[in-house]
Order: sequence, then structure tokens, then C-alpha cells
Amino acid sequence: MFSLKQPKPTFKSYLLPLPQADDHIMSEPRIKKLEPVLLPGEIVVNEVNFVRKCIATDTSQYDLWGKLVCTNFKISFITDDPMPLQKFHYKNLLLGEHDVPLTCIEQIVTVNDTKRKQKVLGPNQKLKFNPTELIIYCKDFRIVRFRFDEAGPESAKKVCLAIAHYSQPTDLQLLFAFEYVGEIYHNPAKKVNGIDPGGGGGGIGSASGQQTPLFETYSDWDREIKRTGASEWRVCSVNEGYMISTCLPEYFVVPSSLADQDLKLYSYSFIGRRMPLWSWNHPNGSALVRMANIKDVLQQRRIDQRICNAITRSHPLRSDVYKSDLDKCLPNIQEIQAAHIKLKQLCVNEPFEETEEKWLSSLENTHWLEYIRSFLKHSAELVYMMECKHVSVVLQEEEGRDLSCLAASLIQVMLDPYFRTIVGFQSLIQKEWVMAGYQFLDRCNHLKRSDKESPLFLMFLDCVWQLLEQYPAAFEFSEMYLTILYDSARISLFGTFLFNCPHQRVKESTEFAISKNIQLGDEKGLRFPCVWDWSLQFTSRDRLLFHNPLYIGKSAPCVQNGAVKTFKRAKKNYSSTLRGVPPALKNGIISEQEFLPRRNSLILKLKPDFLQQAESQSNSMEQYFRDWFAKPVDLHGVILPRISGTQIKLWKLCYFRWVPEAQINHGGFITAFHKVSLLADEVDTLNRNLRQYKSNSSLQGNCSELDQSRMYFRANSLNDTSGAPDFLSSSFPFSPVGNLCRRSILGTPLSKFLSGAKIWLSTETLANED
Amino acid sequence: MASSSTPKYNSNSLENSSSKRTLKDGTNWEQNEEIPRLPGETRVTDKDVIYMCPFNGPVKGRVYITNYRLYLRSVENDPVVVLNVPLGVISRIEKMGGASSRGENSYGLDITCKDMRNLRFALKQEGHSRRDIFEVLTKYAFPQSHNLLFFAFANEEKFSENGWMVYNPMSEYRRQGLPNERWRVTFINEHYGLCDTYPSLLVVPYNATDDDLKKVAAFRSRNRIPVLSWIHPETQAVIMRCSQPLVGMSGKRNKDDERYLDIIREANGQISKLTIYDARPNVNAVANKATGGGYESEDAYPNAELFFLDIHNIHVMRESLKKLKDIVYPNVEESHWLSSLESTHWLEHIKLVLTGAIQVADKVSSGRSSVLVHCSDGWDRTAQLTSLAMLMLDSYYRTIEGFEVLVQKEWISFGHKFASRIGHGDKNHADADRSPIFLQFIDCVWQMSKQFPTAFEFNEQFLITILDHLYSCRFGTFLYNSESLREKEKVSEKTLSLWSLINSEKSKYTNPFYTKELNRALYPVASMRHLELWVNYYIRWNPRIRQQQPNPVEQRYMELLALRDDYIRRLEELQITNNSKISNSSASSASPSQMVSQVQTHF
Repeated sequence: MFSLKQPKPTFKSYLLPLPQADDHIMSEPRIKKLEPVLLPGEIVVNEVNFVRKCIATDTSQYDLWGKLVCTNFKISFITDDPMPLQKFHYKNLLLGEHDVPLTCIEQIVTVNDTKRKQKVLGPNQKLKFNPTELIIYCKDFRIVRFRFDEAGPESAKKVCLAIAHYSQPTDLQLLFAFEYVGEIYHNPAKKVNGIDPGGGGGGIGSASGQQTPLFETYSDWDREIKRTGASEWRVCSVNEGYMISTCLPEYFVVPSSLADQDLKLYSYSFIGRRMPLWSWNHPNGSALVRMANIKDVLQQRRIDQRICNAITRSHPLRSDVYKSDLDKCLPNIQEIQAAHIKLKQLCVNEPFEETEEKWLSSLENTHWLEYIRSFLKHSAELVYMMECKHVSVVLQEEEGRDLSCLAASLIQVMLDPYFRTIVGFQSLIQKEWVMAGYQFLDRCNHLKRSDKESPLFLMFLDCVWQLLEQYPAAFEFSEMYLTILYDSARISLFGTFLFNCPHQRVKESTEFAISKNIQLGDEKGLRFPCVWDWSLQFTSRDRLLFHNPLYIGKSAPCVQNGAVKTFKRAKKNYSSTLRGVPPALKNGIISEQEFLPRRNSLILKLKPDFLQQAESQSNSMEQYFRDWFAKPVDLHGVILPRISGTQIKLWKLCYFRWVPEAQINHGGFITAFHKVSLLADEVDTLNRNLRQYKSNSSLQGNCSELDQSRMYFRANSLNDTSGAPDFLSSSFPFSPVGNLCRRSILGTPLSKFLSGAKIWLSTETLANED
Repeated sequence: MASSSTPKYNSNSLENSSSKRTLKDGTNWEQNEEIPRLPGETRVTDKDVIYMCPFNGPVKGRVYITNYRLYLRSVENDPVVVLNVPLGVISRIEKMGGASSRGENSYGLDITCKDMRNLRFALKQEGHSRRDIFEVLTKYAFPQSHNLLFFAFANEEKFSENGWMVYNPMSEYRRQGLPNERWRVTFINEHYGLCDTYPSLLVVPYNATDDDLKKVAAFRSRNRIPVLSWIHPETQAVIMRCSQPLVGMSGKRNKDDERYLDIIREANGQISKLTIYDARPNVNAVANKATGGGYESEDAYPNAELFFLDIHNIHVMRESLKKLKDIVYPNVEESHWLSSLESTHWLEHIKLVLTGAIQVADKVSSGRSSVLVHCSDGWDRTAQLTSLAMLMLDSYYRTIEGFEVLVQKEWISFGHKFASRIGHGDKNHADADRSPIFLQFIDCVWQMSKQFPTAFEFNEQFLITILDHLYSCRFGTFLYNSESLREKEKVSEKTLSLWSLINSEKSKYTNPFYTKELNRALYPVASMRHLELWVNYYIRWNPRIRQQQPNPVEQRYMELLALRDDYIRRLEELQITNNSKISNSSASSASPSQMVSQVQTHF
């Protein structure tokens, strides 16, 4: 594609080659000031001066000069040069504009132009040539490029090797978070951004000002039971001190009718001793439960029945249990990983223009959208089972800690409006991912042992984005929030996304504490900073971007047919009694129940009599969906995804934000978002004024309240009459400047230059040469 | 008809024509067989049929045919199924099944529509019931083929606005700052003597005489000489449009044409070359030499630079849309949706048109160079390119009225052959002249509005309404192929303008997010990554695919607006009561009225 706007020559341009001597003289005093900003426990491992960061694809005139530093946390490029062509920078307090956390690095490629050599750097590798160039492929789809033309060849090589070494640690305890927390424990006075990060309490300064339940304690689970009215369920403490299972949380919820002794006994039959975990209760009493496979074949049927009977007993209608074997009906983690690699390949690695012609079929061939669709579809079907068939649903999976995390949380997002608030959503991730033992360490591949990597968490966020896209007023958070949350999983500071299970944190950090002479006292392991403590990463003003201006809160007034009414929550009593159930059901008659087989035949899916009725069931399910979509949506009730191929879309903000060619300047949904924000802010202000006026309080006394706004874009800022700010683009708040600047040497694409080797391909296809 | 001050008739607009279900409105409704009728619309016949709805199965109903529409109401379904189809959208009527056909509902009529749907009605086999309805439908759906007038000439609707007043070429050129010392208005074509497919009023270089124009006309296909479409207010670079030069196999040259193009270049005071965009693919341009056409060669026009924009011809576009219909109607091809969509090439064509328009706009704006745009005859691809480039460069055209002017000017007055491309009232459904060029243009506009949600004053409904009445023949706006023919048929006297309907209910077509911005060029990203299928238009008949209506973001915004107004009203009320209470006590703090006015000033 031709370039629309020739870059304006308003910025300082560095034309090559610069006279080397002059450059040294001029830069020397300046470069000395270029020091990295370090966190507690962060140390500089290696650094090199006179490095050029490439900014544009086709020209070197915007390149920045500075120092490339490798620390034990990040690679940092420090420069005095202003970032050209970029009008807005969304600042992460932990990272500089050009920084990349080591855990975000996917691949390190070093190149030597003159020797025509390239090498992908693994840990502890040797480099036989002096690199003239370093290309960093990031897990968040960025590609950054540095040139060492003017740098000392040996120093450049050392930095590259250091980056390779430190970004691919051999042990979990070598991840920066440990060093950081150790430093904090030794010097409690050290604080990042003025906040005590040692607490892990999560709620401090969270976007909504509320605490996010972490589900580490008995009381968090107990509150969730009460909130959902699951009166026939209880918190179970048998795993306190991880005595039974090392991959279950210490506290979880089980049917009241199951005694601790029985649970202990049954646990031996489950893979990883992962006995069934309660997730959530529907107001009609149906429960959502997740369960690992029973490995003990002899006991399988008996234990399965005992468990299912107990779940049935916990249902107010004594309804049967519907089991869904996720391994059979959803893509597996390898397939999802393969789709992700293809998606990334297509979105950022392959040349933009060359992929245009076959874009749609290539996108289809990644299967990414297809998988998104199958998760949404399957979750919606299980929503139907709970909502309409009034049966409890058991999600069954080999270990019950991958697909189950995604399905369980998606179902809850669809069914329970609480999980569509910021705090609710965060608590959902704690409950169904962090505590349930989703293996963040392996799946995010923080240690680069690639065989277990799979982007299930991203796929979940993408599924939620599809719902947000379809029901933009149903969520308290914005797509920026989802994107930033995804990015936060790549910063190895937060305990939230660092471990495979809660026990691993306790075990590893206790070991670490002992080795570092840290007194733990009563604490179970070290407390790591919590990702929900958003103030660690963003200023309170920047956190406002998390808020969706379209969201209709529970108590917010709404307008129907032009008349303003106060919103009333749909009549759904979160109670364990039968109050919320239609009268016909109170007599124990469930009209649709014919399809359910007799009691004790619990594995519905495998039963022939069930299969015979499958057709009528799918008809009634289709009818349910048809009826649901025919009615106006209650944003505080169930929301169901539209899953036609025309309605599942690519999450452009997340996948295109670093692609310069895909950026719509002055456009994109953000411009409408901006407009809605202004209006929502004005409505908030008026509402406050009205309340104040009514309460007759003095206006001056409440000025601070007037200043509080939920909106990032304010109505009373000075420039609001002049339309949208100039810096808005489809990539906002991110900027593709300085990313994906593909390399060409004197007009020759690098791929050709490297005698046919495709440098933009992923690890598998990229042969090492040295 | 002239502007009328009589009370407006609350017309039944076309968006009710979808097969959407309307709820029963009281018990008498079914007995009351009143069907919606426009003033001037007369009932012709009615008949019991079975509507073979592709989404909900057979629907028993009664069909009513007027001189304007086909209207069906179900007799048993609850809620009532309604079909409201202007006869103008009908492209083809076929009989299905014969007298001996067996099988349920196998005998009847199959109707192909121009708006991405087909209708099928099953009839009783006995008593020639089909022949009557077939004949009536054929007669009123294809009036041109039966020496009848379009319904537009019978339409007696009244509107508060007169859409024929929207476009006045002289005031539009004045808005652009024309004429000026370099460009003049010529009346040489007042009686369409120079070019019968051009408007009567043209803007040409000041330094070209009418005599020059006549000589140039001889060298341009159908005498469509290069004339001005738009001038950049700052750079003074212009967008010119014309048809291909008549170069032919022998490579003919024409000194007058060559000089004329140089005059155009110089009018901008520019030293660089004049840029010519030939919308066609290179090979097509070469092939046109065989039929006497061609393109400007480098030898003959040393001061010009020619680029081909690779946009395909009307036949390719027609086939592409046909393929698109195949994958979306009646059922969406779900299993391989994206690759199926790709195989229609519809979005690829959209991309090429947009890319071409961006190049034109960028050349004029950033390149500060005048451009000349043509294809073969300069009434299809050329109209797409000039109008889209103007939409990108001039924010006026992004308003409701400005867009009406743009369509009126670049399409209607410059002789886009609407009658031939749409086949208004013509039974020859296979006519090779038919092609969805204007639809493609509207699709491009929609793509732009998706990428810039606050830049356009009009909403999606506006674009859909335009497309609906492109076919409906209820208004005179899109009838006939040229201005001269329209004048001959006295269209503006005898029919109503579509803009009358729209401008009388502007709020319905207004985009709530519209933010007025002056002089900002708007460049969409013409990439497959951003282009989307316009589901709300192409798949709107499928109740399972149709997106939420109204758009939830728009709806929420409207709710917030209502909320704001409500709060302001309540604050004002409180202020009045409060003021009466403490009338003279000088309030030290800001009074609510001040607060209110502070807030209001932002809007």
C-alpha cells in the first residue's frame, strides 16, 4: 500500500552516516545522564551506548539514539530524543516508553549484515559474530529493532547475550518478582509509586476503589456462597496447608451433603486429587461445578454417582446433573496454541500488503475465530441448561484446569451481571483461573520451555471482548481494560499470573525466603504484588480509561421511551429457596424433563436414551435462543453471544495496535467512545449537582466530589468544543510508532538478503545459522 | 411538484417493508383489511397465497397489489407476518411449477428482487389464479416495458421540505469559491448541445474558450470533456472528470485536447505534471483502443503522468454481487464464511475503489496537484472516484444536505446511467447494462462511516433509505439516465424528490455522534483488515443475523442525551423554586442557573 502521508520533516532527523567523531563528542556528556529507572531489586546486567532504535519502516530518519540496557526485569532503551510521529503515550509506571519486560520477549534475533548471518539466541548460547542488529519479537505482537552501527561491537554482543540469558531463566525463582519481593521484605521502606506492594490485598486503589476478593480465604468463598444463594453448599477446608492437593486452593466449595472424610477418600481417584469444585449458583438453584477426570477406572462409576448425587441433593429441585466433557467438544490447548501462532504470523509477522489479497481466508485458516466461536457456543449451550433446564452443570476435563477455566468463567459472565463489573470480573479471574490452578507459569511460558505454552487466557479475554462488542452497555470495563489486563500477564512482577497454582507460590517463595534469610512469620510464603492493584501500573487518571462510558450501572437511571426511570434490577432473587423459580416448577414438574433419563443415570451424554432425545433437546434449545434474541436485552440479566460467522470478529485493538499500516488516524471506535464519555461525564456532573442542590449542602464544601469523574475524557476540559483530540486513532491508547519496522537494506527486504531464509517466521521455521 | 406548504403526509417509509413481524394491534386489526397506501397509490388486486418464507417456513396470507407495492399479511400467524415490497425492487418474476406439478406448494411465483432477496409465493393450481397475478405484477413492476409511467408520476405525497431545491449547481460552485480568475462557468451545454449526458452548467478553465471545448469534445468519448468537479480551497488543485480520449488503434492525437489538459495543469499555477488517474486496469484501457478509445500516452501528453487504478468494469461488479447474494441469501454460508466472502471479491472491489479515491484525494491535498479522473465513459468508476475523493476532502459532503448535493451533482447530473444500471421498470432482468455501481459507492461511504464514527452527520439508516429508493421508483430522484432526459420528462415538476422525504424527518437520519469538523481530510484505511461486509444491508432480511436495532451504542447515547435534558430541566425547576424562596438573599455560591449554563455552553 502506498504511504498516505509523507512524514513531515518537523522532527530532528538523523541522517546516516553521522560523522563518528562528532557524534562521540556531542553525545558523550548527554549519554552519561541516560540512566535507567530501576525498581527495588532491579539491577543493570549489561548495557551498550550509541544504539539506534529503528522507528519507521522505510527510512532511518526518525531513528532514535540512546543506550540499550538489560536489567534483570526488562530491556530498556534510554534516549533523550523525543519520540517522533507519536502524539500520545499511555504511560505504564513500571515501564519506560521503550521498555520491554523480559517475560514479554518471545524471540531474540541477532543479525550481522556484512557476514550475512543471523541467529536466534537461546539461553547460554555463544555468538560467533558481532551483531549489527538486534530484533526482539514480543509476546504482545510487538517487534522492536535496534542497530549497533555506532556501538562497540563487543558491548553490543554482550548485551544481546545478556538479554537472551536473562529472558530465558532456568528457574522460577530467577524471575524478577522474587528479587523484587525479597528486596521489599528486606527494606519495607521501599515502595513503588508510593504504594506498599507487599500486601497483595488486591483492592488498594483498584480501578473501582473496591476490594477484589482473591478467594484465598475461607470468608471470600463464604461470601460468594451467600451472594449466589447457594445454601446447600459449604466451604471445605480439607486442603488447608495443601494437605490433599497441591494444585487446588486451600479453600473451595462442595455440596453440603459431602463430608470431609468422603472427600478425602474420593480425592485419590481424581487426577491431581482435584475433586469437584463449585463455581457458581444460578438463582434457580442450579450449580456450576468443575471436575477433573476420575482416573480410577474401577471406582469411576461409583464415585461419579456419589458426586452427582450430592450435587443433585444440593439443587432445590433435586434436578439431575448435566455433564459436559470439555475435552470432547472444545479445541484442545495445542490447537489453540497453533491457532495463536498462525494469527500472530498473519497479523504482524507477514508483510502487510502481501497478506491483503488472501486476508479473509488466511484469517479463517488460523482457526482462531472458529475456536472463539466454539467456546462461546458451548458456553451458551450450558447457560441454556442452567437457565432453562434448571439443571446443574458439571464441566469435566482431564485435569480440569484449562478449558474449564475458560468455560466456567464465560458461563458466569453471560449469566451473572456482577462478573461484568470491574471488581466482579477480577474476582472471577481469581476464582476460576488463579485459585483453580490455571497454569499461568507454563501457559504463558514465562520460563520459555515452549511445549506447554497456550494462550487460553487471551482466548478468554477475546471471548469477553466479543460479548462486549455485542453488548457494549453491559460491561463496566472497556476494551482498553481487557487489552491492558492481557499485557499485565507479561510483566513478571505480579504474583497473580506467575504461578501454576497457589501452592507453587507458597512453596517456591518459602524456599526463596529461606535462602535469602527472610523471616516469614505467620505468613504462608511471600506476598507478591497483585495485578488488581492497578495503581502500581497506572495513575488514577489513566485508570479511568478502564471505564466504559456506555455501562449502565445497577442503580443508574435509564430511559425508556423517552421517559427517565430509575433502573430496577430484573426480578431475580439470588436465594436458595424456590422464590425465583416459575410456579410450575415448584410442584416438582419440569415440563422439559422428559429428556432427562431416570435418576442415577447421570452421564447424560453417553446414554442412548439421551441421544434419542437429543434432537428434541436441540430443537428446544434453538427455540430458547430464538426467543431470547427476539426479546429486548436485559443488560442486567443473561446475555447470550451471537455466533454467526458474520458476528464473530477479530479483536483489532489487541492484535493490530502495533501495526502502523492498520492504524486509522483520527478514527476508530475510540472517537465515538470519546463522544459518549463527554456526555456521560456531563450527565454525572449534572446528577451530582442535582443531588447537592436537593440536599442543600454548600457547593464549596463538595468541590472535591465535583472533580471526581468516572471518565477519562472530561466534558469540561477546555478543548471539548473543538471535537475529538488529535491523538485519537484506532490504536489508542497504544501507538504503533517504532514497532514492526521491517528491515530493508537499501531497498532489499531482509528476507531476500538472507538468501531466502525467512526471518519473520516463527521459531519452528527459523533455522539457526552461525 | 413545487414546494408545498400543505401539511405533510406522514408517509409510510420503506423500512417497514422488511418481512419483520408486527405485533397484532388490537382484535379488529385482522378484519380491518386496510393496507398502508400512499396518496396516489391505487389498489389493483389481492389474492390468498402462501408466502414461502425462507426463515419461518410457509406462511398463509393474503397478498395485495397496488400500483406501487406488493403487500402481504399473514392470516394465521401470531404475531402477524407482514411483507411490504415496492414493486420497483422486483427484477424478475418467474412461474414455478406447472399445472401438473405435484408436491405441496410447488406451484406459484418466484420473484427475484434487486435488494438481495427473493420472494416465493405458492398458489392454488385451479382456475388460472396464477396467470392473473403474474400479469398484474409484471405490468406494474415493469411499467417501462408496458408503456406505463413510473409510480413516481402518480405519487401525491406532500412533504414539508422540497428536495428538488437541495441542489443548485450555481450555489454549489459558489460554495467552492467558483467562478474565480482561473475557472469560469460556461453555459455552452445549456441545451445539451455539447454533451447530452452532461449537466447544462459546467466549470472549465478560464483560459479555454467555448470553441476550444467543442474541439476537445470531438476527442473525448461521448463528448464528455474534462470539467471541474471540485477545487481545493487552499492548494487550488482541482479534481477534473471526463471520459477516455478517442485514441484508437492508430494512436490518434488531438492538439486541442493536449493543450486543454495543459491549461488545466497551469490553472493551478503548478509546475509539476498533471496527474491522470485512469480507473481501469491497464489491460482494459489498452483493449479499449480497439473500439476507438484508449488513454493519454506519454508522447502526446508529456506534462501528464498517468496511473491505472485497476478497478474492474460493470460486468465484474455485477457478477461479484451475484456471488455475494449466493452466500448470504437465504442462508449465510456459515461453514467457511470468511473464505466464501473472499471468493465473491466484493470487499476486494470495495478496497480498490476506496484505494483509488484515497490516491485522488491525497494527490490533490498533500500532493497539491490537479488530477484528471476518467474510465471509459466517465459515468461509473469515475463518479465513484470523484465523489469519494470529495467526501474525503470536503467535510460539507459529510453532512446530510452536503451528501445529497454530492449525489445530485457527481452522480445524477453527470449522467450516471441510473435507468440502465438499475433497470427501473424494465423487465429485461438479464440486461448487461445493469450493475451495482451506485450500491458499491454507498458501501464505500458506509465503510468510511464505520472507520470514522463521528465524522458523518448521517447514519446508516440514511444510506439504507437511499438504496431502498434507488429501486422503489417512488421518487423521481434516480429515474432516467441523464439530466437532459429528466428535463424532457419534467421529472422535477411531476415527481417528488427523495430528499423531500429525508429532509422532512432529518432526525431519523442523523448520526448522534456527529462532530462537526471543518477542513479535515479523512483517509480511511483501505485494507481488508478493516473492510467489513455491511451486514445490516446485505443480510438484513435474515432475522437470525440482523444486528441489534437500534445500534446499542447509539441507543445508549440517545438515552444519555435524554437523561441530560431531564437533569437540566429538573435543575432549572429547582432553581426557580429556590429563587422564589430566597429571592433576595444574595447567594454567595454559584447558583444552579450558573451551573446549568456552564454545562450547557459546551453543547
